Amino acid sequence: MGPRRARRRGALTPYLFLAPGLVLFAAFRVYPLLEGLWLSFTNARLGRAQQTFVGVANYSRLLDDTRFHASLLNTAYYTIASTLPILAVPLVLAIALNRGVALRTFLRGAFFFPFTLSVVTVGLTWLWLLDPVIGPSTYYLRALGVPVRSWLADPATAMWGIILTSVWWVTGYYLVIYLAGLQDIPRELYESAALDGASGWRSFWAITLPLLRPVFLFVLVTHIIGSFQIFGQVFILTNGGPGDATRTVVQHLYETAFQNFFHFGSATAMAWVLFLVILAFSLVQFRLLRGHTQY
Amino acid sequence: MIGTFGRLWYWILTTLMVALAVVWLLPAVWVVVTSLKLTENIVRVPPEWIPWPATLEHYGEVLFSSSRTARIGRAFLNSTVVSLGSVAVVLLTSAMAAYPLARMRFRGRGLVFGLLVGSLMIPNAVILVPQYVLVQRLGWLSTYQGLIVPEAAMTFAFGVFLLRQFFLTIPAELEDAARIDGAGPWQIFTRILLPLSQPVLGALAIFAFRSAWNDFLWPLIAVNKPDMFPLPVALALLRGAYAAESYGPIMAGAALSALPLLIVFLVANRRIVEGVRVSALKG
Repeated sequence: MGPRRARRRGALTPYLFLAPGLVLFAAFRVYPLLEGLWLSFTNARLGRAQQTFVGVANYSRLLDDTRFHASLLNTAYYTIASTLPILAVPLVLAIALNRGVALRTFLRGAFFFPFTLSVVTVGLTWLWLLDPVIGPSTYYLRALGVPVRSWLADPATAMWGIILTSVWWVTGYYLVIYLAGLQDIPRELYESAALDGASGWRSFWAITLPLLRPVFLFVLVTHIIGSFQIFGQVFILTNGGPGDATRTVVQHLYETAFQNFFHFGSATAMAWVLFLVILAFSLVQFRLLRGHTQY
Repeated sequence: MIGTFGRLWYWILTTLMVALAVVWLLPAVWVVVTSLKLTENIVRVPPEWIPWPATLEHYGEVLFSSSRTARIGRAFLNSTVVSLGSVAVVLLTSAMAAYPLARMRFRGRGLVFGLLVGSLMIPNAVILVPQYVLVQRLGWLSTYQGLIVPEAAMTFAFGVFLLRQFFLTIPAELEDAARIDGAGPWQIFTRILLPLSQPVLGALAIFAFRSAWNDFLWPLIAVNKPDMFPLPVALALLRGAYAAESYGPIMAGAALSALPLLIVFLVANRRIVEGVRVSALKG
C-alpha cells in the first residue's frame, strides 16, 4: 500500500467509527423529526397508503379543537403547579443531607429508589394508595379528621394526585443532582463568610443559592421538557378524566393518532405545536438563568 | 458548648431524615405487603402492615397462569431481551462515535457534535407518530428489533456526549505510545480507551437499561401482540383486568417489575449516583 492510499484510508477512519451510530441517529431521530413535520401538512391516517398535502388545515383545525385547548391548559397547569415542589423538595432534602447526617448513603438511596421504577409501577402504586374506598391513605386521613374524598375522581383535586405521584417519582433524581452541585461549592467560601460574621441563613442566600444557579437551570429545563410530555401518570391514574380535567397534550395526541381517529396529520401538528412551546420555554429559561456564575 | 449543640443538631437532623426516608419508602413497602396478602385480607380496614398469613398465589397467577391478560412471566422475558439488546446497541454505537469526536480531527466534527447535543432537546413525543410510520414500513411492529432499535436511538446521543467527556480526560500519551508500537485506531480504541472507560461504560449501561426497561409510551403503540408486550404495557393491562376485585395480582406484578433495577441499584448504588451526577453537571 502506497503512502498516499494509507493517508486516504486514515482520513476515512473517523467516519468509519461514526458510521453505525450516525445511521441509527439519522434513521430514528432526524428522519422522523422531518417526516413528522411533513405529515403535519398532510391528511395522513393510520393505514392510508397515500397522503395529500393539505396546507395548514391540521393546524387551523387545532384552533377549533376545544379538547386540544383543554389539554394544553391542563399541561401548562401541571407544569407550573409541579415546578415549585419539584424545585424545592429535593433542594431541602439535599441541603439537609449535605449538612452532615449519619446514614447518608442509605438516606440518599431511599429517596432515589422510586426513580428506578417505571411510570406504570409508580402509577399503580399511587392508584392503590389513593383508592377512595380501601386505600390506606383514605383510612389514615379519615383517622386524622381530614375530610376524605375520591381525590382522583374529583376535577378539583385529580391533577394534584398526579403531581404528588410525580414528585414521589423524580425527587431522588434531582436530589442527587443538587447534592453534587452543593459539593462543588468550595468550602472556603463558607469559612470566610463565617469569619466575616455572616449567619448560616445569610450565607445560604449569598453563597449557596447564587452558586447553584447552573444546577437550577438544569433542573428547571429538564423538568419543563419532561412535564410538557407527561403521559404515563395520567394514563394510569385518571386516563384524562374526570371529564377532560387531567387530559394532557400527549394523552390527546396518543388518542388522536392511535385510539379514536387514527389521524396522523392532526397528531403530528399537535406534536409540533408542543415542540415549539417547549422550545420557547427553554429559551426563555436559558435567558433568565444564564449569566454570572463565576466565583 | 458549640460542640454539644452541634452534636445535638446532628442527631436531631439524622432522626428527622430517617423518619422522612421511611415515610418515603412506605408506598413501595405497601405494594410488597399487599402482594403477599390473601385476597380477602387485602381490603381489610384498618390497613394491616404485616401480611399474615402470607401467600405467593398472586405471584403465581400473574407470572404463569393468568388467562385474562398478558402473562407477566413472558413480559419479563420480553423486557429482558429488549433492554439488554438496547444496552448492547447503545454501548457499541456511542463508544465508537465518541472516539473520533474526542480524539481525531476531521471535517464536520463540530457539526456532528452540535447536532447530537442539540437533539437532546427534541422531545420523544414529537417523533412518536413518524417513528411508528417508519417502524411499520420496516415491518417491525410487535418485534424485538422494533423496540430495541428505537430505544437505543433515544439514548445514543446522550451516550456519545457522556463518553466523549470521559475520553477527553484520558491522557493522550497512552495512545501515542501505542501508536509508536504500531497500533492502529481500532486497537487503540479496543485495547486502551475501552478498558480505561469501564466505570463510565457501566454507568451508561445502567442508564440505557433503565430507560429501555421502564419506557411505556413507545411499546404501548409499537406492540399489539400480547406475547410481545414488555412489562410496563403488560402491567398497565393488569389494572384493567383486576382492579375491580383485587389489587393482589396488580401489586405482585408491580413488585416483580421493580426487582431487576432494585438489584442493580443495591449492587451499584454509588455508580448510578455518579452517573446521574456526571451526566447532569457536565451538561
